[in-house]
Amino acid sequence: MLEIKNLHASVEGEDIEILKGVNLKVNAGEIHAIMGPNGSGKSTLAKVVSGHPEYEVTQGEILFNGEDITELDADERAHMGLFLAFQYPVEVPGITNKTLLREAYNTIARANDREELDPLEFEDYITEKLDVIEMKDQFLSRSINTGFSGGEKKKNEIFQMAVLNPVLSFLDETDSGLDIDALKVVSDGVNKIANSENAIVMITHYQRLLNYIKPDHVHVMMAGKLIKSGGFELAEELEANGYDALEKELVLNGEAQ
Amino acid sequence: MSEVIQRDTMLSYITGSVESSAESVAIRAINERGREDLEKTPFPTRKDEDWRFVDLKSITKSQFCKLEEANAADVGDISEHYLPEAMNCRLVFVNGVYNEELSSVEDLPNNVIVGNLAANADNNSVKEHLGTITNYDDDVFAPFNDAAFTDGAFIYVPEETVVRTPIHILNVFTDAEKAFYATPRLLYVGEMFSKSTIIEEHIGLADNQYLNVPVTEFKMFTGSNVHHARIQRDSKNASHVSRPIAILDKNAEYHSYTICLGAKLFRNDPRVIQNAEEVNFTVDGLVLIDGNQIADTHSIMDHRFAHAGSHQLHKVVVNDSAHSVFNGKIFVAKDAQKIDSFQENRNLLLSENGKVNTKPQLEIFADDVLCSHGATIGQLQDEEVFYLQSRGLTEQKSRELLVYAFALESVESMEVESVEKLLLSEVIEYTNRDNK
Ligand SMILES: Nc1ncnc2c1ncn2[C@@H]1O[C@H](COP(=O)(O)OP(=O)(O)O)[C@@H](O)[C@H]1O
Ligand SMILES: [Mg+2]
Repeated sequence: MLEIKNLHASVEGEDIEILKGVNLKVNAGEIHAIMGPNGSGKSTLAKVVSGHPEYEVTQGEILFNGEDITELDADERAHMGLFLAFQYPVEVPGITNKTLLREAYNTIARANDREELDPLEFEDYITEKLDVIEMKDQFLSRSINTGFSGGEKKKNEIFQMAVLNPVLSFLDETDSGLDIDALKVVSDGVNKIANSENAIVMITHYQRLLNYIKPDHVHVMMAGKLIKSGGFELAEELEANGYDALEKELVLNGEAQ
Repeated sequence: MSEVIQRDTMLSYITGSVESSAESVAIRAINERGREDLEKTPFPTRKDEDWRFVDLKSITKSQFCKLEEANAADVGDISEHYLPEAMNCRLVFVNGVYNEELSSVEDLPNNVIVGNLAANADNNSVKEHLGTITNYDDDVFAPFNDAAFTDGAFIYVPEETVVRTPIHILNVFTDAEKAFYATPRLLYVGEMFSKSTIIEEHIGLADNQYLNVPVTEFKMFTGSNVHHARIQRDSKNASHVSRPIAILDKNAEYHSYTICLGAKLFRNDPRVIQNAEEVNFTVDGLVLIDGNQIADTHSIMDHRFAHAGSHQLHKVVVNDSAHSVFNGKIFVAKDAQKIDSFQENRNLLLSENGKVNTKPQLEIFADDVLCSHGATIGQLQDEEVFYLQSRGLTEQKSRELLVYAFALESVESMEVESVEKLLLSEVIEYTNRDNK
């Protein structure tokens, strides 16, 4: 489904390389986790994949269902089924959640020759989706993330994911800022959305989230590269020994630069 | 020996003499007064503090003639501009001239008058108030209107009367061979505890050059209440200089919302004068300009007695090389205690060449006063655009929604659904032009 090959990316117009040769393959039905210390490039990877204009791909390619999407705009990627749950969801005063989601849903439907929903049909559809994340319907008429608590913002991202039903989702530190109750609700929601047709890449700092959403593959990111991949046991190892131990081990093996 | 510098008057930019064909003695007296003021008042230049930022060349590089000499086109069918809510409550003026055929006034409550000034010249309220409320020192534009107007709109709402239908004052301007001037006039008299909604609109049907100089006077008696929306959609080559003024008796409420979309040069000097204690008023504005448009608002909120609540939210979106000027004066007289006044000017700059000058001006002589004011100039946030785009919205749609969200507060105040819809589509058209 997703294939990232030797991806290098810099800040647009500047000579700061952040991604330094990322390789990643994600198949339908899989859940991946990317872990790594602060500043290692996890968010940048998610943003580059979703088409953020702040970054420039200088080498390598991103294939989505076999098509090179490296040059596509963010909205075109969204139409193909890519979704990013932001680490820092943006507040947009004056535009309600419902307005955004109806516009987004119908734009994506149009791009894929699917039936658009009229306001009444959409109302029914979206109300049903509120259950996924146990949200109250007042949420719909509030301005996007405006005045939301940290936890509400993260929940709202997963709610949008439920409504837009993407093929591939990057969840960037969705667990941070969530108390244990909210974490359970959000994880339940993600588990309900996950199926054999779609795929999820979770970015996280802690193993906490992975206890609720079991990844099939775990990758470690350091200094702009995925330096090690494995199964769930890799996450446990990291939780026990920390990133420093892993770094040392790699240096000993002559794998890190 | 001192040298006398002869400065131009307004008359330098007018072909022929300014005359009025008014039959009414009352109107002729105002015409006469206007002519006298015109002849002795120099036309403003950038050396005048109140005109420092405004380029007036779209007036001074032209000559404006009487309508009769302009060879103006017929008005044609303008029904698309009628408001469904005000189907039977509409006065139409074509190039400043009352058009009875296109106007429609029916089903009004007893004794309410919505008609033209010339036909109501003998009405006591007209005789008493017309021309007495306007109060602009050293001005050339209000006197120009005074000198030239022969007719206008007259609205009279009697005591304890509520007009539920919005009253639509529709000024349309047609194409013409020559640049002409027009002097629309509106007198509103609200008796004690009366209430109404006025939609005053100015629409240019073509893109010709003309000079539109309206004067509106609102006399608000005790406890009266008005919601006054002003929508300026003049031709992109027109100059529009407005003098809207309201005077408020005890417990009166006057809420005005000015929307500026058209004209090459728009200068608006709204004034609200408190004439007794305990009043409430609003002087909101929304400006959406691009190309080389100039929109300048110089407002005065004049608190002269205790216990007033006043509100001014002036929102501006500037694109291309457009230029917005805002100067909001808040006056609070010495004994006007317990004033609660709010002023905010928020600007959204969409281009590098756009320009914004903003200046709040507070002159407060009372001590028990709550007065907040502020001005911001910002741009569309890239992160907001990306957030919406990452959800599948095109960049164009994302920008459109963000500009709309910015303008929303002002649009929501319209209270008349078709006007809200109209403004929404204007915002969409405005952002589309951005993406040409
Ligand atoms: N727009 C940018 N301009 C400059 N530096 C950036 C920019 N975006 C990210 N970086 C830098 O790239 C590195 C990786 O950032 P990020 O992807 O946010 O890391 P992570 O999500 O793993 O914590 C950091 O050092 C960060 O400061
Ligand atoms: Mg991050």
